[in-house]
Amino acid sequence: MSKIKYFLKQSWLLIICSFCFGLLIAVVNAACLDRIEKNKIEKLNSLMSGLMPKAEQFEKAESFTIKTTQGKEFESNIYKAIGSGGVVDGWAFNCQGPGFQDKIELVVSVDKVFARFNGFAILASNETPGFGDRIKNSFYRNQYIGAPAGELQLVKTGNTETIDSKIVAISGATVSSKSVLNIINSNVRQIKAKMIDKGLLSNGK
Amino acid sequence: MANELELSGNQYKDTFLAGLWRENPVFRLLLGMCPTLAVTTALKPALTMGYSVIFVLLCSNIVVSLMRNLLKPHLRILMFTLTIATFVTIVDIFLKAFQPEMSAMLGPYVPLIIVNCIIICRAEVCASKNGLGVSIIDALGMGIGFTLALSVLGAIREIFSTGKIFEIQIMPDWFVPCAAMAMPAGAFITLGMLLGLVNLISKRKS
Amino acid sequence: MDTVTTLVLGFISIVVVNNLVLTKFLGICPYLGVSGRIDMAFGMGLAVTFVVTLSGTLTWLIDHLILMGTPFEVTRYVCFIMVIAGAVQLVEMYLRKFFPSLYDSFGIFLPLITTNCAILGLCLFINLWGIDNLAEAVVLSFGAGIGFTMAICIMAGIRENLNLANVPENLQGAPITLITAGLLSLAFMGFAGMIR
Repeated sequence: MSKIKYFLKQSWLLIICSFCFGLLIAVVNAACLDRIEKNKIEKLNSLMSGLMPKAEQFEKAESFTIKTTQGKEFESNIYKAIGSGGVVDGWAFNCQGPGFQDKIELVVSVDKVFARFNGFAILASNETPGFGDRIKNSFYRNQYIGAPAGELQLVKTGNTETIDSKIVAISGATVSSKSVLNIINSNVRQIKAKMIDKGLLSNGK
Repeated sequence: MANELELSGNQYKDTFLAGLWRENPVFRLLLGMCPTLAVTTALKPALTMGYSVIFVLLCSNIVVSLMRNLLKPHLRILMFTLTIATFVTIVDIFLKAFQPEMSAMLGPYVPLIIVNCIIICRAEVCASKNGLGVSIIDALGMGIGFTLALSVLGAIREIFSTGKIFEIQIMPDWFVPCAAMAMPAGAFITLGMLLGLVNLISKRKS
Repeated sequence: MDTVTTLVLGFISIVVVNNLVLTKFLGICPYLGVSGRIDMAFGMGLAVTFVVTLSGTLTWLIDHLILMGTPFEVTRYVCFIMVIAGAVQLVEMYLRKFFPSLYDSFGIFLPLITTNCAILGLCLFINLWGIDNLAEAVVLSFGAGIGFTMAICIMAGIRENLNLANVPENLQGAPITLITAGLLSLAFMGFAGMIR
């Protein structure tokens, strides 16, 4: 009994403070939770509407479990872009995979039959500043706009203006360029197959 | 009585100024090196980190100072860490809610404020021995000193690595951005040079 | 990739490619503080390795068994730092009781370790990288400790020689150490991109 008393005597302040602080965190968290969720959605929406300026609204259509090239699984959300008059304008989805140093998370957008890309945007990346992070630049990103949504190839030199499946790598950041390309290739393939399975996309007929 | 007030006024001013230069946490006491190096790739994250630290430092100093007479010696450090961790969690939630971009950029370095030696050091050295007033002033002085140091480092690195500051181009066209300044190596070397400079200036002064 | 390859690659990556001290700036304070002599640096490194392995594993377990998916996730940081503080205390008591000689050799560093960013940093990075099996978490924690020991020992070796060099007066001490660390980190950038 005296042991418990001793214990309480030593640590009452700690116990009371733990409760108070716990309460404080709970209150702050409850107050901010909605805003945090809203921020996330807003960021995704603004990126997606940057890729598909014609779309008026985005609707979450489906979510699939996708494997990265490293064999890790993650959840990919597919958004349906709805243009004026309620027609489906295209699709957008988030995907991720290994980059040069850390994982890269992207939003990729394709047209409504999965035939051509509308481009991609970067959700989160941690590439080397000044080299790998140039995957954010228009030189690299613009090459994806209009490219056929099949297997893309990376080339060292070539014309960046022509719209084809050849993507010119950023000099000094070949690995990062390749990572983005691989992520997009592997994800589009998997997602396309799953979309067809679900009947959201006709089988090319 | 008047004399006493004047004295305490001087003491406040002294405590405040100490944090800015004489005992500047980064340049003088070499505390809190981890965020100093990690978040100063540009001025904006440096400032964000700066005011987060000011907030945590202020709150933890106030709490510690209020309960300084109740603290048991061997549970002291545990109490400090608990207090600091709570306020850091709050800052983290606020950043996520109101500055999502900065929160993503700072990443794990926000929770790492918990182990920022400045805060625990001020709690131990100042707040657990002094009254509320001195503790608050001390927290403000130290916090602003830390923010200043971070901003200087952030500004230098941003200018040299991109030629911009706050995303506004300031360097002339012939300037070639030096990407290495944004990398870890640039952080270490810039801070080393700045410390050398501070040593030089303070030696000249005395 | 099978599990063993993942583990080996993970280990190499945390030791050299993503070395906590030189690429993530974690644990700079003790790095500057005790890297003056190589024997002390080694002692510190061992103590850190010990604690980081223990707390990395424990925090992973707590995160996955208790916190994940519950509203208590917001208290993650508080839980992590409490686990670390507790682990340090336990290790200190255990060593003092059962291995007094070991305690004498690195006991003095133990209280310092609670505020070593490398430990909390690693726990946070394990959470951030989404490591989802225990073996990988243990290997990464251990690797982080080894990486820290390596970085601090290299630095101590250099600093012992720096004592004999003619360093400008204003750069002596911490400034030259930081500049050296910068050069070391440039060297370690050569490993970047090797894995992942």
